[in-house]
Amino acid sequence: MKKYLESFSQRLFADLKINEEVSLAVSSEESDFIRFNQSKIRQNTSVNQHDLMLTYQSNQRLYKTKFSLTLDLEVDLKFALAKIKLLREQLNNTDENPQFFAMENNGTSEVYKKNDRPDTTQLMALISDTFKDSDLAGFWTSGPIRQASINSKGQFHYFETDSFFFDYSLYNGPRAAKGFYSSAQWNEKAFLAKAHESKNTLSLLSRPQVKVSPGAYKSYLEPMALAEIMGMFSGGALSRNSYEQGYAPLKKLNEKEKLLSKQFSLIEDNTLSFDTHFNSIGEIVPDKLPLIENGELKNFLTSTATAKEYKLQSNQADPTEALRSFEVRAGTLEKSEVLNNLGKGLYLSNLHYINWSDVQAARITGMTRFACFWVEGGEIVGPIQDLRFDDTIYNLFGDNFGAFTKHQEIFTSTSTYLRRSMGGMKVPGVIINSFNFTL
Amino acid sequence: MQTENNQNLFVAEFKKYKSEADFVAFKTVSEKSRDYTVRNGKPDQFYESNDSGLLIEVMKNGHIGYGATSEFTSEGINHAFKKAMAMTTAAEKNSVFKFTEAIRPPSKGSYETLRSRKLDQLSLGEVYDFLKKTSLALKTNDKIISATSDVMLIETTQNYLSSAGAEFTQDFDIIVNSMQATARDGAETQTRSLHGGRGNCLQAGAEYFNLDKALQECEQISREVLELLTADNCPSETCDVILAPDQMLLQIHESIGHPLELDRILGDERNFAGWSFVEAADFGKLQYGSKMMNVVFDPTVAHELASYKFDEAGNPAHKKYLIKDGILQAGLGSLESQMRSNLSGVANSRSSSWNRAPIDRMANINLESGDKTLEQMIASVERGVIMFSNKSWSIDDYRRKFQFGCEYGRLIENGKLTKILKNPNYRGVTVPFWNSLSALSNTTETYGSPYCGKGEPSQVIRVGHASPYALFKNIEVFGGG
Ligand SMILES: [Zn+2]
Repeated sequence: MKKYLESFSQRLFADLKINEEVSLAVSSEESDFIRFNQSKIRQNTSVNQHDLMLTYQSNQRLYKTKFSLTLDLEVDLKFALAKIKLLREQLNNTDENPQFFAMENNGTSEVYKKNDRPDTTQLMALISDTFKDSDLAGFWTSGPIRQASINSKGQFHYFETDSFFFDYSLYNGPRAAKGFYSSAQWNEKAFLAKAHESKNTLSLLSRPQVKVSPGAYKSYLEPMALAEIMGMFSGGALSRNSYEQGYAPLKKLNEKEKLLSKQFSLIEDNTLSFDTHFNSIGEIVPDKLPLIENGELKNFLTSTATAKEYKLQSNQADPTEALRSFEVRAGTLEKSEVLNNLGKGLYLSNLHYINWSDVQAARITGMTRFACFWVEGGEIVGPIQDLRFDDTIYNLFGDNFGAFTKHQEIFTSTSTYLRRSMGGMKVPGVIINSFNFTL
Repeated sequence: MQTENNQNLFVAEFKKYKSEADFVAFKTVSEKSRDYTVRNGKPDQFYESNDSGLLIEVMKNGHIGYGATSEFTSEGINHAFKKAMAMTTAAEKNSVFKFTEAIRPPSKGSYETLRSRKLDQLSLGEVYDFLKKTSLALKTNDKIISATSDVMLIETTQNYLSSAGAEFTQDFDIIVNSMQATARDGAETQTRSLHGGRGNCLQAGAEYFNLDKALQECEQISREVLELLTADNCPSETCDVILAPDQMLLQIHESIGHPLELDRILGDERNFAGWSFVEAADFGKLQYGSKMMNVVFDPTVAHELASYKFDEAGNPAHKKYLIKDGILQAGLGSLESQMRSNLSGVANSRSSSWNRAPIDRMANINLESGDKTLEQMIASVERGVIMFSNKSWSIDDYRRKFQFGCEYGRLIENGKLTKILKNPNYRGVTVPFWNSLSALSNTTETYGSPYCGKGEPSQVIRVGHASPYALFKNIEVFGGG
């Protein structure tokens, strides 16, 4: 792939005129997707896909055009050159872009990572066999991912990895326990231990259901439940571009009208290596960027384009200004102390379908999902029926914040819309002293 | 990259492999999508995607598996075919169900969006001019900090050939047009848009663009966003609610469309999108809503977003009642789900593109109109709220407990529209909610969503929803803050 891209880019850039700049962002994957239901295989899809986003810039104007690569050099080049020819004719019929900035050579690099894992055909059998005594619904994904960022100023970053995850849930009628296994290196023992753990959780769910009415309850959110809420910080909340355009749930935090708990720190940490060391325009990302530190907002994710328009400092955020690789700092609560600390309240393993119910108030709504329990006297009483919450980020991590756990868990992205995503997070569990449920 | 050369290669390569498994099908999808945004009269984004590739389906001992590639060359196709065969051979030993070839009928024919001028005729300059004028028309006041006008122009071609004898082509032109203004005054920020986010979408050609009509819409959006800056919050109480068609689209989507998908009922989606409160035994029996509720699956409506002639397994598309006089009749299940469940279904095997396997999806799911005018409906309400344009949505994984928020509301007191309300929200539980439906307007409006998410691996798909205004009794409403 790297060789192909070298030939492709050399020939393409040779055709450019003096006032033109082009960058290429490449995503390529060879993926095995296996879908399970009732511990058996529902669908298997193997995908070999390569696409290239070409950014053409000239005369303070820019245009992005993405296309699928056939890896037939002549066919792909012909397509790209025809696009550039059309843009030369058409782009001047528009105006200058306020976010335009000249491309730079952000250097060259290559990184290769390997993951020795069994062949997918063997894994299909292993999964079916491990869970033959269970009712499993789940999703195995594996294979190489390649990314590159190249431009006509001489920049050439190339990254290749191989990754896998198994995301699943086990059922006893309507009651379910979630499981997730992913690692930089496959380890069959670890996979089986996870399987054992989720089967154990499912057995706890066989206790009689407890009816919990809407109201405010002290709650413990497992790391996977907190991970769902942290997804809301990624969808525009920390984007400087969104903030400038009025989409600003963290406005009160930024203006110091509200503070979060001193325990709350959210850091974009690229040394965790969940994503590439360069962003999609090839800028090398900083090792660490504190976003919220000890409850105060320190930085928004600010891309170079946003910085240009609003005359700010870029922190090399990706043009999407989404979180890539981040950590919520751990607290001091021991895992073994969670139930005691909770005393009486809700133990929530997962949350589902979270959305802003009022963006300006940083208020979010969503549902409990999978293994969630009522706890009394520091002991699990039984599973609950799913509840809807509706509460603000300022309450959850400010006024009503309890504690973060000492243990953290890692969640690499399982998103597969259009293509496999990279990225991930490392988050603890959290006690919230009062969490508002409405339905 | 749909060229004549590609078409020849597609046919020649298919012939090579069509006898190499119990069943073989080749599908190409080629889609050009242009997404242009103008903000405050200046370019915000010019983005284009040209996505193209091949999906290979192979059946082995009743199990269908898939191989997909963007490498549209003899070598690339060979690699994808071999991979699909190896994986499917391994998978069929532990497959969920053994199908017969009946799930892939030998359909022949073609479909084309009804249009008078194809979208490929529209140049960047022409579209930019429309967007610039409308964006500037939205920015009528300094309090409007962001005025964006956006259009997506999507041109898609599907080709399908199967060893069972299917041979069809479908050609779609799609427009998603949105306009949005955000206004700020002190601590208050509000957004108003054309039918909420990307709700305004349809199949049409370049003739869709009507600047005079768009400028009138801009005038209304900018007027209403400024009204919201000084409006009262929606009160918290239980009262009547009238939902406009551009909110009903989400209500129909989330609380009728998704729970009726047979693959959800069969458990395929339990790990991701979720299960369903609907069970197989409910069909023909469950009183889903009040007697005036009639819901159809209808991919045959001209210009509605998800119209087509065949689903992607080659099943011919027909209109079908899902809910008739409030009683649940049929689910949204493809030939595969119908064979697995012994339930009746529809032609809804669909995938987001060439790189994903088809699954049970919505197409156009429409609520039929009633017999009242909107004025009569308002006049019948003693105390209530009318809500326009979806802005927030959430529902549980069984599709019971939902909560929705809208952009713009009006209080109804003693049969009259009174105060303007900001942040109107409501919540409820699916079956009791639909049973509280007590009036429908005699006209419908048609919208849709270009982004319905589902599946492992995940897929977004386009769905259409037409609805009248609908009145629901005793609903819990509340405001923001
Ligand atoms: Zn959906």
